[in-house]
Amino acid sequence: MTTLQSTSSHSRPIPNPAKSLITKLHMGTGAVVGIIFAVGAYYALRPAADDPNFYNQQNKALLAAMLSWSVGFLIGIGAFIGPFRWLIGKDLTAEEQLYLAGDGQGIKRYFKYCTDHKVVGIQYLVGVMAMLAVGGSMAMMIRTSLAVPGGHFIAATIYNSLVGLHGITMIVAMIIVATGPFGNYIMPIMIGARDMAFPRLNALSWWVLFTAIPVLCSAWFLGGIPTGWTAYAPLSVQAGPGMNAFIATILIFAVSTAVAGMNITATVVAMRAKGMKWNRVPIFVIGATMSVALAIPAFPTFMLAMVQTATDRVFNTGFYDANVGGSGWLYAHLFWIMGHPEVYVILLPGIAILMEITPVFVRKPLFSYNAAVLGFAGIAGLSVLVWAHHMYISGWTPTLNGPFMVTTEMISVPTGLLFLVLLGTVWRGKPWMKLPMLGMFAVIWNFLIGGITGIYLSDVPADNYLHGSMYVTAHFHYTLMGAALTGAVAGLAYWFPKMTGRMLNERAGYISFWFVQIGFQILFLGMFIAGAEGQPRRVVSFAAMYKYQNMISTGGAYMVGIGFIVLLWAVIHSWRKGDIAPMNPWGAKTLEWTVPYPVPLENFDEAPVITSDPYGYGKGN
Amino acid sequence: MSSDTQFHIHHDAPEVVGRRERLGVRLLIVADGAFVASMIFSYFYLRGLNANGAWVPKGGHTLSASTGWMAALPFVVAAIVHKIGTRNRSNATAGIVLLAMLVGAYIQWHQLATMPFIAKDDGGRHFFEGAYASNWVVLGGANLFHYFVGTFIALGLFIRGFRAKVDPTLEHWRQLTASSWFTWIAISGVLCAITTGII
Repeated sequence: MTTLQSTSSHSRPIPNPAKSLITKLHMGTGAVVGIIFAVGAYYALRPAADDPNFYNQQNKALLAAMLSWSVGFLIGIGAFIGPFRWLIGKDLTAEEQLYLAGDGQGIKRYFKYCTDHKVVGIQYLVGVMAMLAVGGSMAMMIRTSLAVPGGHFIAATIYNSLVGLHGITMIVAMIIVATGPFGNYIMPIMIGARDMAFPRLNALSWWVLFTAIPVLCSAWFLGGIPTGWTAYAPLSVQAGPGMNAFIATILIFAVSTAVAGMNITATVVAMRAKGMKWNRVPIFVIGATMSVALAIPAFPTFMLAMVQTATDRVFNTGFYDANVGGSGWLYAHLFWIMGHPEVYVILLPGIAILMEITPVFVRKPLFSYNAAVLGFAGIAGLSVLVWAHHMYISGWTPTLNGPFMVTTEMISVPTGLLFLVLLGTVWRGKPWMKLPMLGMFAVIWNFLIGGITGIYLSDVPADNYLHGSMYVTAHFHYTLMGAALTGAVAGLAYWFPKMTGRMLNERAGYISFWFVQIGFQILFLGMFIAGAEGQPRRVVSFAAMYKYQNMISTGGAYMVGIGFIVLLWAVIHSWRKGDIAPMNPWGAKTLEWTVPYPVPLENFDEAPVITSDPYGYGKGN
Repeated sequence: MSSDTQFHIHHDAPEVVGRRERLGVRLLIVADGAFVASMIFSYFYLRGLNANGAWVPKGGHTLSASTGWMAALPFVVAAIVHKIGTRNRSNATAGIVLLAMLVGAYIQWHQLATMPFIAKDDGGRHFFEGAYASNWVVLGGANLFHYFVGTFIALGLFIRGFRAKVDPTLEHWRQLTASSWFTWIAISGVLCAITTGII
């Protein structure tokens, strides 16, 4: 698809970092300044024991400490040096920018405010894997406790906190699981760009997110988040100090998401290689961009919901207290106006990865590129019109249930287009059954079940029965884990050689794949049955009539857990000692496979010019 | 066709960098716009619901519409003055924009500091009088945030206007980019003023 052109040689300025403040800042300095800020804010605002507003003042002190930690960390790691220098009219020099890009700094750059998009991509990858490991461990604890009726592996008092922390950890991880590592590392190379549009903001998006991790962890030491990840008000207004950690996490994460979404969108719109018209943009880039572009307007509504929850807790405003004119419905609206698009923010990149992979391993062009784009656009557009299907039984304007049922079910149409594209691409092909390609078949199956069960939940009468049951839990795990996470893992197997220079251990990958996929079906098909029979979610102890379903589900969960441990081992082992990867192990045609490993700082020695579409397999080019 | 492969960070043509920066700011404005739209939705949703008749409870306070317009006026002045300065490629207006931001921030801060909505219950606990008061304070807080960001930008443009080392073409693009922001916060301020004027 490309020709490579060059006329001039490199003339890089040599970094001269001596005595510059930039060279002295790293994660350690960030942590020190962050802790000083947090402790200072807490002690400045901590309540006296006899304060009549003790509850509010305690919330104020904790929230201030958490947000101050984030700001302090960013100051300490040097995130604000660029803006400050802009403010005083002394822009960063080329040498300083080159130093920030991490040129020649080896592994140290991963612990600094590094602007190289490939470093940021790896930071996201490691961060996401850590989050998934923690969230997955919580899931194993939950399933262990639910293995038998009346199981007491987890105390009833912390069960909902565990479920809530599992939920929010996984949701955050899943939102960034594809657009974080691959959107940052691979996507700029795929479009022929030398960097992201805003390299410093790129680093900012990661480090802002990083500061949310200890904040969320602190919830454990502050009594947990007993509301579940939805944090419905007024429960969240009345909850203990741990709720402040949830609020601060969402506020910080929303900033990170907005910055990352803006950066990825601007990069794709403004920095594509010469000749890369919109119909020549790789489909992963289209899907990832629609995902982050959807997140840009969606997340601020959740951010406002958290601001209002915070002011209710700190200042006794009355957004969610009906005694003073507030309403829990307001929270539900704001939450789900974000919440449903967020499902597609997670899903679209996963599906787009599979669309990227499938033509490569079938050696056929992508079936109907336009239908794929239309499918993504249709889903993104409709996803903002369906939020109230989560509120059918809340009592909010029952007359609008019908219209929301229709808009929800309409999403099946563009979703069907995505199936059509995947199946059409593989149709009559001879798939090269390497590890990445397995994910495509798994997602067709999982997403089909996730999608069809979703139609039942969108149906008002059926939802009246199924709402709040384990059926719902199984449904959204089939879409988010079965489709989006499986797609992301396929992406990891596919791009692992480019990101690490080594091949992912194929045998371990196969073992992991089959353990995870078989275990997954056992886990969640069992949960579907329990849910359809009436077992409620978020309840620590269940009736004896559900014992076999839950025992089966827990057995499946252990299989999934073993599968992911094998995958984690494969990633770590292959990264260190795996076979050296050739430049283009899959014979793919997109631009990232035209650059060597390690990828040069500016990706391309010669600027690419695009002359054809990226899926011209079997066309003689 | 050929392509420049020199080390490029911020070495793209100023017009290219400028357009890219403006696009980025406009995308951030979309996010901020969604936040403001959500606040306005909250205001009218709770106003329409009037749960327990406590949108403005009996004996509760309200503020006149002029309060919101007072807070919004500096936004509008700054946006117009900045646009004039950008059109004339002049840095002389940056000081006026900065002044407008500072005055606006003071007005909004003063309104928040002296609002009459906070009551005390029998236990000495502070609480807000009703949903109108709750919404008013968050809308005011958003205005204040906009003033802080606007002050930062205006101060930067003001200082940079006096420095000879900046690239004039890129600086003009940054004026245009800032214009997008000042126009947006003026629109936002006016929308908030209209909203709080409908009690």
